[in-house]
Amino acid sequence: MNLNRNEYMTNREDTVDELKSTASKLDTPKLCISDEEQAAITRVIARAGQLLQAYNAESRLIEQTTERLGMAFGLDSVEIALTSKAIILTSRFNDHCVTTTRTMKAHGIDMGIVCEVQRICILVEKKIYDVEQVKQRLDNLAVPKYNSVVVACFVALSCACFSHLFGGDSIVFMATWLTSFIAMRIRQWLTQLHHNLLTVFFITAFTATFIGSFASAFDWGNEPELIMITSVLQLVPGFPLINAVSDMVKGHVTIGMARWMTATLLTLASTLGIVLAVQLAQLGGWL
Amino acid sequence: MSELLFMLVDDAVFAGIAAFGFALLFNVPRQALLACVLFAASAHAVRSLLLHANVPIEWASFIAATLLGLATVPWSRKVVIPRPVVTVAAVIPMIPGVYAYKTMTGLMTLHHQGYSLALQQQVVENGLLTLFILTGLSFGLAIAPVLVYRNKPIV
Repeated sequence: MNLNRNEYMTNREDTVDELKSTASKLDTPKLCISDEEQAAITRVIARAGQLLQAYNAESRLIEQTTERLGMAFGLDSVEIALTSKAIILTSRFNDHCVTTTRTMKAHGIDMGIVCEVQRICILVEKKIYDVEQVKQRLDNLAVPKYNSVVVACFVALSCACFSHLFGGDSIVFMATWLTSFIAMRIRQWLTQLHHNLLTVFFITAFTATFIGSFASAFDWGNEPELIMITSVLQLVPGFPLINAVSDMVKGHVTIGMARWMTATLLTLASTLGIVLAVQLAQLGGWL
Repeated sequence: MSELLFMLVDDAVFAGIAAFGFALLFNVPRQALLACVLFAASAHAVRSLLLHANVPIEWASFIAATLLGLATVPWSRKVVIPRPVVTVAAVIPMIPGVYAYKTMTGLMTLHHQGYSLALQQQVVENGLLTLFILTGLSFGLAIAPVLVYRNKPIV
């Protein structure tokens, strides 16, 4: 049985059928959970919640997933308090509580990991995984990342598409692509060096606008200003903004405010970069 | 009529490509990429159609996001992937980025050049537009879980 489980662990591709199956591969859940077991379960749930928060899942998903994991492991209830920098989690079983706190280390946005944690939660609900297996799998999460050059190419293409949607011609399209590609590569390089996100946004926006301003100087395409405007659109903090409002709609007002403020600061940082570049260009006399 | 159709197709194609880039940036899993592009393309086309029919932009965004949110529910159940994974990347082409930047640059110019009514007007108008479009988009996405699936998880 143990060997089978290990084999199962290495075969990480969960099929959709499996996630939807009702068959239980484990024995029926124990009706009694010892204190140590409860602590272990709580640690696993806290890890899952921490991962979801670090990779920018919305608060409702964090709340639901931790609660479902707790129920699936046979606990009476899991209560969670979310702040913008930490999660506090209490699990309850037969009037015995275990409380634990995890700080959040922001990792940027990664939907692959959010998906993976959600799938693990469902596998636990189907009684396919036990605590030890879930711990193993959460500790060894290996979600493939896309190649950074490919990502930069396509993000640049996105900006170029925006310029088209705003009415730019093909010259503007090409120039926007090139400008945002360079800016995106710089952004990736700075992120890799673990710089503060605000610094990254400031420098990226500055570079993109500065390069874009030359297009205005040479008067390329039908609307050269579009190159400056759309190549910084890759920096719009869309994810925090949408998450902020959905958190507030679903009752997590404080977290929503924190996210909104983060997004505003990021926009401010990029705008500072844009303004600085424009003023330099005007000082140089080519804009 | 065919002109409108061409405009919508053009709109959908470019919005789809734009969403694809952001989906890669957010590391959306491979099996969800195509769905993300299709959802983004159709949502943006719906919004353009509504804008063409002179619906105000915040209501058009709200309706497009609502339809997008409802359409992702059966999909998300079928492939067992939580909805935010695709919905956020899919609404990115509709995010009012330019208005947000205009608000901020307006504020800075207001400080730099001193107060003027025209500048204040620009800041307030763009700021409100940003706020309402964003609220419309998020409310639209939240319609499915808030109204239809009250407290039950979708996946």
